[in-house]
Amino acid sequence: MSSPTKLACHECDQVVIIPALSDGQKAICPRCGFVFTRYFKKARSRLLAFSSSSLVFLLLSFVFPFLIFTTQGNEKVISLVQGLQSMGSGTYLSVVLFMLATTVLVPVMTLTGINYTLISAKLDKPLPFTRHILKLVFLLQPWNMAEIFLLGILVSMIKIASLGDVQFGWSFYSFVLYIISMAATRVFLDKYQVWQWFRHHDKRAYSYER
Amino acid sequence: MSAKGVKSDAQLIEPLSQDNVASSNKIVTCAMCYQSSDHQQSECPYCGTVLHVRKKNSLQNTVALLVTSIVLYVPANIYPIMYTTSIGDEIASTIVGGVITLWEQQFYPIALIIFVASVMVPVAKILALSWLVYSVQSNRIISRKNNQVMFRITEFIGRWSMVDVFAVTILVALIERGNLMKVMPGVALIAFAAMVVTTMLAAFSFESRLIWDNPDKNKGKNTNV
Ligand SMILES: [Zn+2]
Ligand SMILES: [Zn+2]
Repeated sequence: MSSPTKLACHECDQVVIIPALSDGQKAICPRCGFVFTRYFKKARSRLLAFSSSSLVFLLLSFVFPFLIFTTQGNEKVISLVQGLQSMGSGTYLSVVLFMLATTVLVPVMTLTGINYTLISAKLDKPLPFTRHILKLVFLLQPWNMAEIFLLGILVSMIKIASLGDVQFGWSFYSFVLYIISMAATRVFLDKYQVWQWFRHHDKRAYSYER
Repeated sequence: MSAKGVKSDAQLIEPLSQDNVASSNKIVTCAMCYQSSDHQQSECPYCGTVLHVRKKNSLQNTVALLVTSIVLYVPANIYPIMYTTSIGDEIASTIVGGVITLWEQQFYPIALIIFVASVMVPVAKILALSWLVYSVQSNRIISRKNNQVMFRITEFIGRWSMVDVFAVTILVALIERGNLMKVMPGVALIAFAAMVVTTMLAAFSFESRLIWDNPDKNKGKNTNV
């Protein structure tokens, strides 16, 4: 259970007190409807389970063939990273780099960061740079576009359906599993709750009482 | 001056007043770690994030980014997003052209997804943000709550416009050059990607607390609906 905290809503500036919440309960701003937080029992171990499985699925999707494209007897096997690299020239490089960053780099960094901070929260004294890493994890959130990439793959499949035969490789299925477990990770990656874990054992925590 | 409790999973029924906004309570809460501190603090004492009672130059930045995205929207739609070459014939296709082709090939759901993500969402986003800036600046408020919901949707859906950019990028990677078939990216690919990024940044730079700031002209008891 979290203790009551006084704060101002990020979206409308209403001052509220977040009460102790029971399992699955949300705290919603009475003025604008902003969801401050959602409390889950055992959120930490659930987050660890989903974020580590997300990371495993994501890393596995780099290893195997992603797509197998057959046209006029020619078979082309494409892996995720190789597929992203192959058009790396000219001004279009920027688009490729953007896609690489938002679908590979950001997810890997985010998941590694979450797992690092979770280990850190288990220890008596947090690991170095925990707060910086946690900040980065939350700042990168809107730039994780892996699920959009997946939809992009399906769209491109349909566009070339008439030209040849496309088969999904093991990596593709692993990537789908990554998207699913990442969605579960997001449910338990609650800004308010996550920072709260560190405040409990952080003596430097500043409390505002007035 | 006391703070209101938050009912979980339900809205508070008591009327709220302007007395309960943070600016009159002189506190500022860190958007990153939820640490509350004195409104004169410039940095969060817990996580070091820069604190703003209101984001600086929010409206100017939003407008500048919106204008940029409108400018980028033009080449993104006029120029081809990709060129397909098969047996010597080069076909250039624009974003809308791609949607029409998919529709003609009877891939209706995908055609609709691309149309919504690439054509409707960017326009809706630009219109929504322009309305919000206008509404805040001229204090012309129809419903603060609707404005807030509009802003939240704008913030959330913007990323999905990237679908077509990713699809074309994947196509280029998928089809080897030098074969009978060749797919090359067009100028619109970059223009469109840049437009999506600028609209996302425009949404991030908009200060949503401004939606709630100006007191209503008609001094009703309930200022929040
Ligand atoms: Zn609020
Ligand atoms: Zn902070």
